[in-house]
Amino acid sequence: MPSVPVVAAVGCTEIASERRDCNARDLLTDALLDLLADAGMDGLGAVEHGLASYESDHFNMQMTLGAILHDTIGMTPKPSLRVEGGGATGALALRTAWAHIQSGLCDSVLVYGVEKNGRGVSSQTANQLFALSADVDWETAIGGTYTSFYAAMMRAHMAQYGTREEHFAHVAARNRANAAFNPIAQKPMDISIDDVLRSRPVADPYKLLDCSLLSDGAACLLLASEAWAREHVPTFRTRPPVFFTGTGCGTDTMRLGDRHPHITNFRAKQQAAQAAYAMAGIRDPLREIDVAELYDSYSGVEIQAVEDLGWVGRGEGGKTVAAGAFDLDGILPVNPSGGLLGRGAPVGATGILQAIEVTQQLWGLVDERRQVPGAKRGLADTHAGIASISVVNIFERRD
Amino acid sequence: MSDKVSSLIDITERAGCADDAWGDFRGFERITLELKQRYHYSLGRQSRFFIELENRRFFATACASCGRVYAPPRPLCPACLQPTTWRELSGEGSLETWSALHFSPGTNADVAALQTPYVLAYALLDGASTLFPHLLRAEGESLRQGMRLRVAYNEGPVSHPIHLMHFAPA
Ligand SMILES: [Zn+2]
Repeated sequence: MPSVPVVAAVGCTEIASERRDCNARDLLTDALLDLLADAGMDGLGAVEHGLASYESDHFNMQMTLGAILHDTIGMTPKPSLRVEGGGATGALALRTAWAHIQSGLCDSVLVYGVEKNGRGVSSQTANQLFALSADVDWETAIGGTYTSFYAAMMRAHMAQYGTREEHFAHVAARNRANAAFNPIAQKPMDISIDDVLRSRPVADPYKLLDCSLLSDGAACLLLASEAWAREHVPTFRTRPPVFFTGTGCGTDTMRLGDRHPHITNFRAKQQAAQAAYAMAGIRDPLREIDVAELYDSYSGVEIQAVEDLGWVGRGEGGKTVAAGAFDLDGILPVNPSGGLLGRGAPVGATGILQAIEVTQQLWGLVDERRQVPGAKRGLADTHAGIASISVVNIFERRD
Repeated sequence: MSDKVSSLIDITERAGCADDAWGDFRGFERITLELKQRYHYSLGRQSRFFIELENRRFFATACASCGRVYAPPRPLCPACLQPTTWRELSGEGSLETWSALHFSPGTNADVAALQTPYVLAYALLDGASTLFPHLLRAEGESLRQGMRLRVAYNEGPVSHPIHLMHFAPA
């Protein structure tokens, strides 16, 4: 009997710029042991399905990593699947697990994400590899990078709406400050808006401190039917149940230029949000959502996101963000974890880490300095490329 | 050449296990591997665009059903699912948005040869429905939205035929 899935348990590693002591299998091992401790389970015997989430075969110099990971954690001979969708990979994996459970195909799916994006390759090689996820004939070959595609979008946003560098510098400073309250965060920083503005240019208008991190890390989330979680997860009864009540996905053209004349915002994100809100029964998202993890691959993206998620009017994101509306003490705290800017972004694990932060916020279990008091409903927003794939997942605590 | 890094440093704080369950696995080794690939890479139905650059002509594709003109070319109109036809454009247009890159990925020899900062520009070419991305060489000029640009052609050899052109101020 299909039912709205619950987050039965979560686990992750610390996020780091480089874990020389661990390969991808080792990182997953640590995240899995963390999940078992969280669940109070001593094994995965009852778990029916595995679902691997990682972006790049190139970073790992290993294809079929999903099968290797499944093998590493003793999930054979159970069914397995790898999901890949660029930066949205982890969120797509959760959405896929949601569908597995809603369809009745199984009652429990272990979603595991891992990436070694840190310093396994040089930053130039990392940029080349990420650029291969753009259109190689028309964007990659001319020396385009994702930073520059995002930057060109933000320049258009600034030209059309008067958004300013100070507005997105606010995001860069705030998310890194939030990271100070997150023990797994890669790079908490106490920086001012001026520090961001004065950091060296990368692809203008984006500067070094506007850019998110390259990270090593892993994360696991056990998604299950409520009945399965009650039966198999000892800690499930000890915490308020958190349901995965909505998931939406949207897409857009790969190349920014093909979106003309709509190049200031993310159409895919608008579509994903509307679908997720409809499924979760949300009519007024700004009031009905208590905490959110947004995909701050670049600081300005958060400004575009709050518009595309329908929280503020088009073009009002910059000044609303800069006024503190989405700070920890604001009307809707965003990226309490530190986000991709402060916590870090091991790609295949990122969407899962976002869901973990939202879930732990709803459980009321995070450091009180970043805990949103009484949070009942949370949102995770994740995308690939310049939102060529966008996923919005919604979680709700139902006591 | 392999740049071998071996370490037996104490990583207790990394393991995060008070009971030191990973005590047997403290030492680790990091080696350097190299993977070089060579692709016989087909430009497929986009090929004529690149061939015509050698003739200093700029081609887009047009959809007879909906009238959209694609630059870069699309052999299939995704709106109508009809094959398009080639259409020559003047190569003049206007600057819509851009970014100056201060960090080069060095994607290929032509990119590696660029001085930073270099400008990635999105131009709306006259007669096109989409923006075309390319390098804008406008040394010393201040860029502004709407400024007129033209396609300028380069002599080969190049690492990728897209480098047979760039944008310049009109
Ligand atoms: Zn058409």
